Amino acid sequence: MCPQGVRSNAGVRRLAFSLTRIRYVHKKFSQQYKATIGADFLTKEVLIEDRLVTLQIWDTAGQERFQSLGVAFYRGADCCVLVYDVNAKRSFNTLGTWHDEFINQAGPSDPNQFPFILVGNKVDLDSGSRRVVPEKKAKDWCVAKGNIPYFETSAKDDYNVDTAFLCIAKLALENEHDEDIYFHSVAEQATKTEEQTSGCAC
Amino acid sequence: MEMTISPRKEHNSEGTGFLPRAEIVQDEHPLSLGKTSVWNQHFQESETVEQIDRDVKRTHPEMQFFNAGSSDALANQESLKRILTIFAKLNPGIRYVQGMNEVLAPLYYVFKNDPDQSNAAEAESDAFFCFVEVLSGFRDNFCKQLDNSVVGIRSTISRLSQLLKRHDEELWRHLEVVTKVNPQFYAFRWITLLLTQEFKFRDCIHLWDALLGDPEGPPDTLLRICCAMLILVRRRLLAGDFTANLKLLQNYPPTNIDHLIHIANKLRGLVPC
Repeated sequence: MCPQGVRSNAGVRRLAFSLTRIRYVHKKFSQQYKATIGADFLTKEVLIEDRLVTLQIWDTAGQERFQSLGVAFYRGADCCVLVYDVNAKRSFNTLGTWHDEFINQAGPSDPNQFPFILVGNKVDLDSGSRRVVPEKKAKDWCVAKGNIPYFETSAKDDYNVDTAFLCIAKLALENEHDEDIYFHSVAEQATKTEEQTSGCAC
Repeated sequence: MEMTISPRKEHNSEGTGFLPRAEIVQDEHPLSLGKTSVWNQHFQESETVEQIDRDVKRTHPEMQFFNAGSSDALANQESLKRILTIFAKLNPGIRYVQGMNEVLAPLYYVFKNDPDQSNAAEAESDAFFCFVEVLSGFRDNFCKQLDNSVVGIRSTISRLSQLLKRHDEELWRHLEVVTKVNPQFYAFRWITLLLTQEFKFRDCIHLWDALLGDPEGPPDTLLRICCAMLILVRRRLLAGDFTANLKLLQNYPPTNIDHLIHIANKLRGLVPC
């Protein structure tokens, strides 16, 4: 069973992002990139163990005003990536709220098992001299939330971003089973017809 | 700040300037989260000002007018900041929502480029007045508390969906039923930012002439234009799946604005309430 619009032999996994963006998909970086309004949609193909996986990525807006609108983007996600800025304490302090809000709105069948990943971004800024959130503090937070994997990245220097994404894709695949059940429950006749014609193999 | 919370009352009686703790009401405590707390208000305001500052700096960075590093461009940025800050203060229920900078930019640009110098000199106040006026028709879209009400953004988006269904049911069915593209995925930004992000700046100003000048009023006209945007790319949408359609609508292709307005005009009288 596949979610909507799947090409054959490719699984589509949905991810939701919060707080700030990682310019991964476009492989480009601009410090003056516009603020996200609502959510930006991106896709990325990743090869894992001979399997081509298409990640559908929602880069959701960071301002609190947009938080309540997350439900449309979060529901059906296989993995949630929380991104904070290691140079901004506030972005770290609000992680808990975003984490809880995601669980609330996405409503996964087993909230304790749902895969999250934490990414500390912008480690490149002024060679790290402006850093205010120590790595240990972030790791402690991850342990407290049930051993969430943690990565430090620089989207600007393209540092560690690929490693983080590979981990995200693997976790999303492991979580596949739960989502199969989910998509069964929302599937409509129209989706079934489309699957038959697209020859979906998963 | 530290001095005002000293608990040592005796110091005051000795005239050392310390304020006795008993005289500090709860709301004057620097850590108070109370709504009437001046400190809490102060912290919230500085957060808003920082957010406005960040967003104004990245308003049309490609345009010299806003971002040349020249004294003129810096003065323009200061004007945008003042307008947004005052709007936020006058509208405590909404304050500043990211993206308002994009709605303000075309208004300020037009006033500031008035060939009559005496008019251009008043650009900041004129733009402020018009910004308030434009948002009066759209402010509910920015208000989180109204998201689930009949006047909030969700309801506005579903009116767009109904308009499309009424006018082009085949396209509506393909988008929302077959490919499951929830209109919120693309129309949220279209509607809240009045299409400023979907077209080039010049095209946007052209489009706004129709949007703001229409006798049916900007809110209904905006929905008609959004619906016309969908109809203009209907062939590609009907051939597309979820991913292709969402990418197309989140990155709307360059369009002849006059033709778009022409199509939107044909939908007149069909906007559902």
